[in-house]
Amino acid sequence: MSGWLYMFRFFAVVPPMPRLMIGTFGVVTTAIVAVVAFNPSRAPQALTPVLLLQLFACSSGFDVPARRGHYDLLLTHAGSRRLVLFGHWMASACPGAICWLALAATCRVAVGRDAGGLLTTGSVAAVCLVSTIPWAVTLRLPRFSGAIGWLLMVAVLSLVAPEALSMDVERSSGDWRSWLQAAWVTLVYPPILVGRSLHGTEALATVPALLVAMAAPTIGIWSAQRRDIPLEAAQ
Amino acid sequence: MIGAPVLVSVRGAAARYGRREVFRDLSFDLRTGQALGVLGPNGAGKTTLLRMLIGCLSPVAGDVRIAGFRPRDALRRTAVAYFAGAATLPPAVRAAAWGALGNGEVVLPDRRPIRALSQGLKQLLGLRTVLSRHPLQLVVLDEPWEGLDSESSRWLNATLELKRDRGAAVVVSSHRLHDLAGLCDDYLFLMPHEARLLKAPEISRVGPVTAALLADTFDKLRERTTG
Repeated sequence: MSGWLYMFRFFAVVPPMPRLMIGTFGVVTTAIVAVVAFNPSRAPQALTPVLLLQLFACSSGFDVPARRGHYDLLLTHAGSRRLVLFGHWMASACPGAICWLALAATCRVAVGRDAGGLLTTGSVAAVCLVSTIPWAVTLRLPRFSGAIGWLLMVAVLSLVAPEALSMDVERSSGDWRSWLQAAWVTLVYPPILVGRSLHGTEALATVPALLVAMAAPTIGIWSAQRRDIPLEAAQ
Repeated sequence: MIGAPVLVSVRGAAARYGRREVFRDLSFDLRTGQALGVLGPNGAGKTTLLRMLIGCLSPVAGDVRIAGFRPRDALRRTAVAYFAGAATLPPAVRAAAWGALGNGEVVLPDRRPIRALSQGLKQLLGLRTVLSRHPLQLVVLDEPWEGLDSESSRWLNATLELKRDRGAAVVVSSHRLHDLAGLCDDYLFLMPHEARLLKAPEISRVGPVTAALLADTFDKLRERTTG
């Protein structure tokens, strides 16, 4: 238990993302809350900026600060490397998750029971996807590189093959190609899920992405806990 | 300290970065209440060895044990203090907040971010933070005197002696011989491709080990390895 408490204390003092980003989350959430309070019909779109920020926040990168020695104190105190990595993921995902819940609470007050679509299965899946995959992808890379890579990919796809980012699985149910397309889109462009209540084929199409979302951090933690952490300056 | 239990056991350890061999066939034991000084020129593997002891690096050959466990597993059972220098402190964190991560007490009441502190103050902050934890069973410090003024150096020497007298095993590296002189029970000379462990009485048969005696031993070993 003391390892857990120390981990929380450590990441409260040494957050994996810049403090400016936490401030940005606060400003964006406040602005969105104001917009939704005045215009509740905008609620479904409200989550997209938070998801984008969450994507960057979770692309926090572990290896680079660890190789600089920034986590030495935690690595020797917490006892378990797995715990340190898990704590790093939680600390990376927490600000975005808190903003999402704050927005959902506001929308529930302003809009009513379904919180403007921010608590639908699609929205939950979108938050899960942007909170896990970027963290795992960026574990060994410099901060934000996962998010930048993703932005580049989405930008290129939207220019070269915009149809690759559309999802109309319900209309062509039974067609495995459209199912595959939907599965691909949910993986590479999670904001498309925001506000949707996933049923039937659409729900099935998100399963591969959710499996990746579960497997990526697990594999990331498993491989990172075995890896050496040399000091950058000593090599 | 002969009867004290062995805390650190290194057997035939080797380290390499890519094709570059750092050291090989390194063996030594360190008992509780003992201090080991690690000396060597730049690039000889002092930092690498110390990181091996805290489980951040694995030897490519041989075995490292802390209290009978692999270092990573030992961290759950053994209270370890490790500090590798001012450059390892996160620059954006406030000094007071970092200092409180040791045992909860503020070791340096300075609200500035670490990047705004002088080199010596950063070093002192890092050392006081890791050494404020108690009880400690293993203290591993990499070039801890770097940037310290004479008062802080005296504080560090006194603290290390206190920790050692209270039963902690101390491993401390430096390339400045006068820092380690007289402080340690054993001295590990890490030379390129060769390591040699000498006990204090082997360096100085009468009286404490002085910087001059360490320098003399160091030169002899270097001549042997280069010649």
